[in-house]
Amino acid sequence: MSLSHFITLSLILCAIGVYGILTRRNLIGILLSVEVILNGANINFAAFAHFKAADPTAGAIFPIFVMAVSACEMAVALAIIISMYRQKKRLDVYRLEELNG
Amino acid sequence: MSDFLFYVLATMLVLLSLMAVSLPNLLHGAVSLIGSFLVTAALYIMLQLEFVALAQVMLYIGGIIIFMLIIILLTTGLGEDDSLNRISLGQRFKRALIPMGLLVSLLLFIGKTPSPLLQSATHRAAPVTLDDIGFRLLSIDNGFIIAFEVISILLLVALVGAVVIARKDKDEGEEA
Repeated sequence: MSLSHFITLSLILCAIGVYGILTRRNLIGILLSVEVILNGANINFAAFAHFKAADPTAGAIFPIFVMAVSACEMAVALAIIISMYRQKKRLDVYRLEELNG
Repeated sequence: MSDFLFYVLATMLVLLSLMAVSLPNLLHGAVSLIGSFLVTAALYIMLQLEFVALAQVMLYIGGIIIFMLIIILLTTGLGEDDSLNRISLGQRFKRALIPMGLLVSLLLFIGKTPSPLLQSATHRAAPVTLDDIGFRLLSIDNGFIIAFEVISILLLVALVGAVVIARKDKDEGEEA
């Protein structure tokens, strides 16, 4: 169990999340994939805090901020999805074209 | 022993995350995401970061995933809406090439680069106690007090914004 193991694990999680973003067509499915990517990033913070030990307290605090921002993101996403569902009755991202440039 | 445990947990984490992004039913995906967050909390405990594990269980599993389950149940009937517009297997394979390329090239880069960050002798940190985290979060010098306050304002603004966005308009409300 070393730092390289944890970096590899978080890279794999990031790749899985990107795969999910590219293949899901439902808005909620894309949100699920983003959570997987954030999880990988948090594991990276924790692993560097444990193994490099320059400032372990800061490494333990940073994932907390990531979680708080992620909670904000979910609250706003819930509101957007609900208002979009009320207008469209579907959440297929290929059909949501209001923001097209 | 600790190595073996890490491999078991990492395999479970990767499998559960794969299930979360690829299961056709969104409800099943969210439930497997709960499993992956629990395994992540176990990994944090292996790294001696108990507070992060605690926050992971309380915030992610108790808050964010419950949010997500509520969205899924409100908008799609038991999560099955997605089966109508699935992406074909060939498309899926083509798109899988992009993250695979990313993963392989980054792994090669990390393996080939003689970084002093990875190679130097790893001395384990002493476990971070709850007192440390609390004092560090709120201390003025070399602390996170500004980020802490900004996060609290951000949470408030996000809540108010969510209420404003999700509110029904008056005329629309009378139709429904």
